[in-house]
Amino acid sequence: MPAEELGPLPAGRHGYSREQVAHHQRERLIAGLAEAVAEKGYATVTLSDIVRHAKVSRRVFYANFESKEQCFLAAFEVVVGHLHELVADAVAGVEGWPRQAIAAIRATLAFLSSEPDLARLCLVESRGAGPAVTARFSAAVAELAPLLRKGRAERPEAERLPASTEDSTIGALVSLTYRKAAAGEAKQLEELLPDCAELVLLPYLGPAEAARLVREAE
Amino acid sequence: MRALPGKENRQPPGPEPVSRDDAAADQRRRILAATAELIASRGYQETTMEDVVRRAKVGYATFYKHYPDKEAAFLALLEAATDRTVSRVEDAYEREEGPWADRVGAALGVLFADVAEYPAAARAVLVEAVAAGPEAAAKHEAALKRLAPLLRPGRELNPRQAQLPESLEETLAGGVVWVLGQRLIAGEADKLRALLPETLEFVLRPYMGEDEAAREAGEVADAISA
Repeated sequence: MPAEELGPLPAGRHGYSREQVAHHQRERLIAGLAEAVAEKGYATVTLSDIVRHAKVSRRVFYANFESKEQCFLAAFEVVVGHLHELVADAVAGVEGWPRQAIAAIRATLAFLSSEPDLARLCLVESRGAGPAVTARFSAAVAELAPLLRKGRAERPEAERLPASTEDSTIGALVSLTYRKAAAGEAKQLEELLPDCAELVLLPYLGPAEAARLVREAE
Repeated sequence: MRALPGKENRQPPGPEPVSRDDAAADQRRRILAATAELIASRGYQETTMEDVVRRAKVGYATFYKHYPDKEAAFLALLEAATDRTVSRVEDAYEREEGPWADRVGAALGVLFADVAEYPAAARAVLVEAVAAGPEAAAKHEAALKRLAPLLRPGRELNPRQAQLPESLEETLAGGVVWVLGQRLIAGEADKLRALLPETLEFVLRPYMGEDEAAREAGEVADAISA
C-alpha cells in the first residue's frame, strides 16, 4: 500500500470521522515506514524520512507511535494480522491438511509478492531492528509450528518424526524466503511456492506423495 | 594465555595467538572475545566501544590500532569465528572416510560441538550477524554457502535429483542454523548434543529418504548415548 495510492488527506471539513482519519494516518505512517526502509534500510531511516514518505507531520507520528521501533512493530502486526485473514480465507473449503498447507503457503507468498516493501520489512529488515522486533519475528514464525504439527496425523510414519522437525522446517522456510527478499526479489517470492510446499509436505507425507501434490499445485 | 574477563566462554573466538609473545595477536583476541561476549549478552546495537575496551582491558588507542570502529571489530570477529568453525567442519567431513551420510554426520557433530563450546561467538555469527547490517549479514550468508558443498553430493542418492531445488543445500543449512540460533537465544547451548541426531535426520531426509535418514540418525544417537 504505497502512500501515493492513498492520496493526500483532504484538509478541513470532510466526511471522515476522527477515528477514520486516525486509522488512515496510522496506515500511512506504516506504509511510509516500509517505503523509507526500502529506500535506505532500517538502521539509517530517520523519523523525518518516515513522515516525508507518509506525507504527515511529526506531530501526527507522535500521536500514533512513541518511536521508530513502535512503528515497525505496528507494521509487523498489520502484516501478520492480514496474513492470518488471508490464510483463513484461503484454507476455507479446502479438504485435508496437505492441500490446506499448500493453500496457506500460496496465499502468504502471493501477499508478500504483491507488497514487496512490506515483505522486505518483515523478512529482512526485522532482523536488524532491535531485540523487541527480533523477538516478535521469532514468535510470529513459531505460530506456524502447531499448524505444521497437524501433518503428523497424515500417516503412521509421520507420528515418529523427531520433535524438532517443525523447528527445522520453519528455519528452512525463513532462510529460503529471507534470501529471496534480501536479494531484492521480494516481488518473485511467489516463485518459491513449489520449494516451500515440498519442504513442508516432505516430512509428513513422504517424497512420492509430497512431489505429487506439489506438481498438482504448480 | 591470560584469563579473559567474564564468567562464561573464556575461550577465544578466533585462532590462537601464534605465540605468547605475540602481544598484538593477544590484544586482538581479547578485543574479539570481549566483543563476542558483550554482543551475546546485550545485542550488537546496544554494545558500545567503551564496553568493549573496558571488558577487553585495553585502551582506546590499542583498540584503534587494530580496528577503526565497533563494526570493524564485529566483522573481524565474524570472519575469525566463521572461518575457525567452518574449517573444522570441513576437516571433519574430509577426514571421515565412510559413506556420504557418515561424513555429513561427522561435520554436523563438529558444528554442534563448536557452537556448544563457544556459544558467544556462535551467537554473534548465527543470530546477531543477520541483524547487524548488510556486511555482517553477508558474512552469515557466506558461512551458509560454505556448508552447501558438503551436502550437495547427497543429490546422487536421490532418484529425483533433477527435480531438487537449486537452493536446497543453503535452505537446509539455513534450517540448521535457525535451530541452533533459537537454542542459543533460549540459553540452551548445553542441550545441543541431544538435538544433533534429529538435525542430521532433517538434513539427510531430502536426499536419502526418510527410512535411511532415520537409521543414520539412530546410529548417531546411539553413539552419543554410548
